[in-house]
Amino acid sequence: MKDGTLSALTALCAKCGTCRTVCTLYPERKAEIAVARGKVALLEAALSGDDPDGESVQEALTDCLLCGRCERACPNQVLVEEIIMKGRADLAEEVGIPAWKSILFGKVMASPGATGAARKAAAAAERLLLKKVPTGSGLHYRFPEGLGAGGRTVPELPARGFVESLGKREGAAGQVMLFVGCVFDHVFPQVGRAAYETVKASGKSVGVFREAACCGLPAMVSGDRASALACAGENLRRLRAAEPETIVFPCGSCLLMFRRNILSLVPKGTPLHEDALWVADRSVDYASFLLSSGVVDRLPDPPEGGRAGEIGYHDPCHLSGTLGKGPEAREVLRRAAGTGFAEMAGADRCCGYGGTFNVRDYPTSARLGEGKVSHAARGGTKVISTACSGCVLQMRDMAARVDPSLRVVHIAELVAHALARGGTGIPRR
Amino acid sequence: MDPKALAALGEFLGDRLRTSLETRICYSYDATGKRFLPDAVAYPVDAEEVRRIVLLANRYRFPVVPRGAGSGFSGGSLPVHGGVVLSTERMDRIVAIDAENLYAVVEPGVVTEVLKEEARKAGLFYPPDPASLKFSTLGGNIAECAGGMCAVKYGVTRDYVLGLEAVLGTGELVRTGVFTVKGVVGYDLTRMLVGSEGTLGVVTRATLRLVPLPEAAATLLALFPGNREAAGAVNAVVAARVTPSAMELMDRTAIDCVLSMVPMPLPEGTGSALLLEVDGPGDSVARDADRLADVCRSRGALEVRRASDARGREELWKLRRSISPGLRRLAPVKMNEDIVVPRNRLADMFDFLAGLAARKRVRIVNFGHAGDGNIHVNIMTSGTDPDETRRAGEAVEEVFRKTVEVGGTISGEHGIGIAKAPFLEMEVGPVGVSVMKRLKECFDPNGILNPGKIFLSEEAVRR
Repeated sequence: MKDGTLSALTALCAKCGTCRTVCTLYPERKAEIAVARGKVALLEAALSGDDPDGESVQEALTDCLLCGRCERACPNQVLVEEIIMKGRADLAEEVGIPAWKSILFGKVMASPGATGAARKAAAAAERLLLKKVPTGSGLHYRFPEGLGAGGRTVPELPARGFVESLGKREGAAGQVMLFVGCVFDHVFPQVGRAAYETVKASGKSVGVFREAACCGLPAMVSGDRASALACAGENLRRLRAAEPETIVFPCGSCLLMFRRNILSLVPKGTPLHEDALWVADRSVDYASFLLSSGVVDRLPDPPEGGRAGEIGYHDPCHLSGTLGKGPEAREVLRRAAGTGFAEMAGADRCCGYGGTFNVRDYPTSARLGEGKVSHAARGGTKVISTACSGCVLQMRDMAARVDPSLRVVHIAELVAHALARGGTGIPRR
Repeated sequence: MDPKALAALGEFLGDRLRTSLETRICYSYDATGKRFLPDAVAYPVDAEEVRRIVLLANRYRFPVVPRGAGSGFSGGSLPVHGGVVLSTERMDRIVAIDAENLYAVVEPGVVTEVLKEEARKAGLFYPPDPASLKFSTLGGNIAECAGGMCAVKYGVTRDYVLGLEAVLGTGELVRTGVFTVKGVVGYDLTRMLVGSEGTLGVVTRATLRLVPLPEAAATLLALFPGNREAAGAVNAVVAARVTPSAMELMDRTAIDCVLSMVPMPLPEGTGSALLLEVDGPGDSVARDADRLADVCRSRGALEVRRASDARGREELWKLRRSISPGLRRLAPVKMNEDIVVPRNRLADMFDFLAGLAARKRVRIVNFGHAGDGNIHVNIMTSGTDPDETRRAGEAVEEVFRKTVEVGGTISGEHGIGIAKAPFLEMEVGPVGVSVMKRLKECFDPNGILNPGKIFLSEEAVRR
């Protein structure tokens, strides 16, 4: 394995051990190979020709949630996320990536039509094969034990996605472009709808990005650079052509892709890189848009008293941590729910999802997630709101496992409810 | 390593014995940046497993290298002769905090900050505060006798170890010390083990003294024209009969290193900074802080800043805390020494260091715990110029000679490890070394524990 850029990045690590204190996974593994310092050492060994087995290094690099805590805590500002992603990509070229991932990322996620078809097939399968579990956040289906997924529940997949549900001319184009994201389009179309309606309340014309491919983050973090680039190319060219003033992201991870990751993915000095910069410049998180566009000022005053402090906010690692957008969502919640919102116990604890990490090691992901939601519930939270698709998926599953009365929503659903009902904060279904 | 030895270890450790290259690489380094590959990594969960590992090591003659967080600066946890790295990561329980008798009982893998936090919840205080306290473990702190910022008032790790449970190199489990303030029953085996760098025994449990949590604290930052004035102020503070809980000095190069990360306006002509902290009851803290400010001004401080609230104090501390990691911006390789000189020789030592840097044409950055005479002398090099590296090596030796000459010690808190082994005899003399070697023989006759440390020419495990 040889990569000049990668060795320049790893050389900054002084092996001090700070990353051990913040790593989400370390308390689970209690072994150095889990933390950034160990992974950097492994890559250094691989780069210097000591040649630990490529697949084993790949395996070690995969065992990471990419929550970014180590990078933020690092006194030497080592770019751990970039190192891990680059290492995964280099190794993917060397030893390949699992077939299921390359089919999913390359064929399904890069094309808008295929994601819809996949959802329909999966929706039919879950109704046929899985067991129903009613939860506070809607119907879930539980995988039987012994399928390697240990009691995992998945939300009931809708018959129609959000984009499909739009009228022909509805959200066709506008000053503001809404990047819904795969999950909020196909799995939780009600979030896509809520985001659309509330962004529209700004009074600006709003277009929904209908031809969106996947943002590319799952492929990129899995080291599948080609598929990630295919997604990025599709999206960037179409977004640039549509010339929106602002692009609003209800999902923090999609936003991270467009604000930061895509810039290191797309080759510098190319027209596509120009497009990436142009798009990054216009990309904002949902809560920031609501604050800057004045939507929050149009919300009716939240009701006094009632269910005080029952709504909490979960900090998505990418959105609150890496992008630093934590206060914005809280401000939106204070305006939408008043005293219904209170700081949640362990708000900034990672939910343990980590995208493909959740598929790869569900038991660990579930332990982290159960810990997260039960901690919040013990603190008195009854509704966990957040602003990232992965976190919603994970915490709904976890709530179904530990306390089905606990609800997990996107902040847009609370804002939509406040707009429609006069601000009671908690929508009933 | 003998495959039979690995099989025997695996029999009771199961998957807590790892021999894959990936795991071995992850236990091949510490904060020195050096690398030595172990043959295996073991994660015991209790004293009995530690004992069985050491017994097998005696039978099959492989080295056992205890390791906490691997954050040491002297190579104490590096498996220089291979063997088994014994990681204490999974022995990380706080067994008890006794608020009536003021002690805590801990396993070695507990992270220092975790104990400090738990003690704080009980209104108690575990003072030792090495800069690595957020990740370093108490076992490692004990093995290296870690110091820190507050040593000037509170002392170092050894002053808080009441008793230990340890597995000696023979495989015997020994319990040393007391649960009380006093105790003088036979030789002080506790102190023998503290700072022994894992060469005499593996600590499996420790009884640590706690003190009442101070009520309040205040922090001052005094800016001086040079190190000589700052060092003068340190001695004047002591003469004024105030005992600060920290007195940290930073020279101009150290300050410049962090200004990019922690922007802060400085008065013209600032050549040195002194960070002082006092703690105790609220009224005495205010009075002591006044007195410190007066002393600093009278000793030529250009400006004195002061904070009593947590946020303001943290702002001032940020300057100091950012230095060590910030040094990497200056040059990629640092030789980080931790000499201690008598307080009243600090000014002379700084003059000597300035002259040495000029003479040897190397960059030297000085900062550290001036209150107790402990200076971190960092000789910065590119690592790519052999002549520069040679000059830096000579400079290190001269620093040590000068240190011993003025009545100081060549390591205040990092330990000898492999980094300072060549200089051991310079300080303790041939008889000192000989007695130490005989003690080692007694605790670890087969040279199982952490071979290659402290002593220069010790042969590896006696096969």
